[in-house]
Amino acid sequence: MSRIIVILLTLVMFNRLSAADDQCLKCHETIGDNPSALFKHDIHFKRGISCADCHGGNPHLEDMEKAMDKKAGFEGVPKGDDISRVCAGCHSNPEQMKKYGSSLPANQLQNLLSSVHGKLSVTGKEHVAQCITCHGAHGIVSVKDLRSPVHPLNIVKTCTKCHANAMFMRTYNPSLPVDQLDKYRTSVHGKRNAKGDSKVAECASCHGSHNILSAKDVKSTVYPLNIPSTCAKCHSSSEYMKGFNIPTDQYEKFSKSVHGVALLQKDDMGAPACNSCHGNHGAAPPGVESISKVCGTCHAINADLFSSSPHKKAFDQRNLPECETCHSNHDIIAATNRLLGVTPEAVCSKCHSEQLSPRGYVVAKEMRLLVDSLESSEGIAKLLIEEAEQKGMEVTEAKFKLRDVHQARLQSRTMVHSFNEQQFRETIEKGLKTAAIVQTEGEFAIREYKFRRIGLGIASVVITILAISLYLFIKRIERRQRTGM
Amino acid sequence: MKTYFKTFYHWIDERVQLEDLVQFLGKKYVPIHRHSIWYYFGGVSLFLFIIQVVTGILLLLYYKSGEELAFESIQFIMSKVQFGWLIRSIHSWTANLFILTAMIHMFSVYFEKSYRKPREITWLTGMLMFFLALGFGFSGYLLPWNELAFFATKVGTDIAGVVPVFGKPIMVFLRGGQEVTGATLSRFFGFHVAVLPGIFTVLLGIHLVLIQRQGMSEPLAREEALAGREKTMPFFPNFLLRDLLLWLIVLNLLAILAVFFPWELGKKADAFASAPAGIKPEWYFLFMFQTLKYIPGKLWILDGEIFGILLFSAGGLLWTLVPFWDRKSNRGEQNKVITYVGLFVIFYIIVLTILGWTA
Repeated sequence: MSRIIVILLTLVMFNRLSAADDQCLKCHETIGDNPSALFKHDIHFKRGISCADCHGGNPHLEDMEKAMDKKAGFEGVPKGDDISRVCAGCHSNPEQMKKYGSSLPANQLQNLLSSVHGKLSVTGKEHVAQCITCHGAHGIVSVKDLRSPVHPLNIVKTCTKCHANAMFMRTYNPSLPVDQLDKYRTSVHGKRNAKGDSKVAECASCHGSHNILSAKDVKSTVYPLNIPSTCAKCHSSSEYMKGFNIPTDQYEKFSKSVHGVALLQKDDMGAPACNSCHGNHGAAPPGVESISKVCGTCHAINADLFSSSPHKKAFDQRNLPECETCHSNHDIIAATNRLLGVTPEAVCSKCHSEQLSPRGYVVAKEMRLLVDSLESSEGIAKLLIEEAEQKGMEVTEAKFKLRDVHQARLQSRTMVHSFNEQQFRETIEKGLKTAAIVQTEGEFAIREYKFRRIGLGIASVVITILAISLYLFIKRIERRQRTGM
Repeated sequence: MKTYFKTFYHWIDERVQLEDLVQFLGKKYVPIHRHSIWYYFGGVSLFLFIIQVVTGILLLLYYKSGEELAFESIQFIMSKVQFGWLIRSIHSWTANLFILTAMIHMFSVYFEKSYRKPREITWLTGMLMFFLALGFGFSGYLLPWNELAFFATKVGTDIAGVVPVFGKPIMVFLRGGQEVTGATLSRFFGFHVAVLPGIFTVLLGIHLVLIQRQGMSEPLAREEALAGREKTMPFFPNFLLRDLLLWLIVLNLLAILAVFFPWELGKKADAFASAPAGIKPEWYFLFMFQTLKYIPGKLWILDGEIFGILLFSAGGLLWTLVPFWDRKSNRGEQNKVITYVGLFVIFYIIVLTILGWTA
């Protein structure tokens, strides 16, 4: 700590030291070492910060022994976490930064220490990343400078120095993949970045810079619930996306979709975010061919049924994207019965008309009738069971069966993707059969409820007659006893 | 028909001397006075106990004890067994009415000071039966193995465990372990259908024999005022038929309760679920439960809960032993202190039960 104070004092005392007076630089230039050569291009050198401002010592003394005497506050090369602390001596001090005319935020170290890089450590003595790990040491230039290792066009290389190194990453997190760079280079972002487009997303665009958190951290920009808004930072900005020639309404559509509502409103982590379909490091729009594979990662049975259905060939011939043609992409709505059939709002009627495609038209119409009848039967059964339950009847078993009916209806929605009327009918009929049983049980429970009341009425009448008779009998006995008969 | 009946009666009489019993019953008289109405609550309690025995046996035909079977078997009784719903609802309602009528019977005997010599044993057997009835209620409550019963039993046995020295072993004995589990259910089932009915039947036998032997007690004031001029009615058939009339009315009331307010089954017990909010014991334990809530955590050197339990235990013991310390009544003198104590107890029970119910 005392060392840091000495360095800070030195910084304050000797700031704005001219290069000509800097004995450290003079001497090291004479030696011809790399740090002094690099430092000439360093942004800090240009702002008048000397070697001694970071390394300590007295830059005014020509005598090397005295200039680099520890009594003169010479620190030498800072090690481990001291490196970031030396940088923070200025970078965490807004006043100091103001003096150098910098508008950089003063919370980088604070962010770094709370980031995954600031928390992880292997040796226990120092944390995994220091300022120089990304920014370099003696040749630091502005992030906007193309020579900077953190410039948008270079940052991918900088990050992957560690992140593509399996040996290195294993020491920190063996389960973390190391193929991000390879994937990135296949992505639209990566391809354009490689061509020199600095506007496209690179590592820091999504993960942040100093404040990078684990993807499992709820505060992380790449936590599943936050991914849509992270992507939307660029993709929803028509100003930023100008020139890319792609729509900017994806987030708006997604947030209203069945997936978006589940993810953003219900915090359902099982719901897909942007990266679930587009990939993350290898982000790209899925091609027509691969759409069903992408959707099929979650909707596996639907994808399988579709692949073996007659629609597969028809879609391929017409170059139609498989799932997207009926369900759309970002604004997928909940699949209700209205998507099926031949009504104007049904997706089947987009291709199947009575005149041009009579067979498909008839099948679609029939399938809709079947699923409607199951829905209606389920509704009736549910009402009956609810009524019986409200009347205090025990209908737990019927309620379980009602779940089977609902399950059959959900299965029928999956079975639609076979576009096979027979298979679809079998699923629906299974549900209809169970619904009929539930309806019967519901009706029986309601009848039983009425029977109980009628039974009670009859029993009450019988008991009342018995009670009155008994009362009269007692009175007669007592009368006889009084009269002595 | 009459001839057949007479032949049958004669056949029995030849073997067991039935005539003696008929003669005895024919000579037995019940006093008539303005408090006579209270005599009927003993009979109603007996009737409700008989209903409990009959419906309990019927439930036993289908009930299966065990963590995985109890709830399902009651569900089966309620939905599949012919009139199972009626039997179960009547059993549950009767359990509550039985405790209520037994309580009324106990208080009426207390206020009439009918426990005084020579009826001390009748009172003692009655009190023991009342405690057993509470045991019936507590053990029977767990048998459906539903959420409320599970947590009520947990809380109830926890309270028992607080008692110094004996509490912990009693709790472990009741639960069949440290926690309320299937072992507790098996034990409670055993207590409910075998141990408690066995003891209860013996006590009931003694109680009824003593009543028949000693006759109905009369209020002190009446004894003094009407010495030798009392109004009576024959026990048989007058009083017995009146009892029967009341039983019919109670039976109808039970049927109405069972049909209009069928006893709910609730959710199956889950040991890993959190206790439902505002969990309360059955109404007859509510006043004690509520009192324990009001007692501060620490009273002098005693833990508040222990103090409460000791207080109720001492109160219960004093109440049970009233024939032995109420010397005035035993001498045939009026004892107003006893009446005031009784009135206070009733007032306390009613107020604390209402507070507990509305809490």
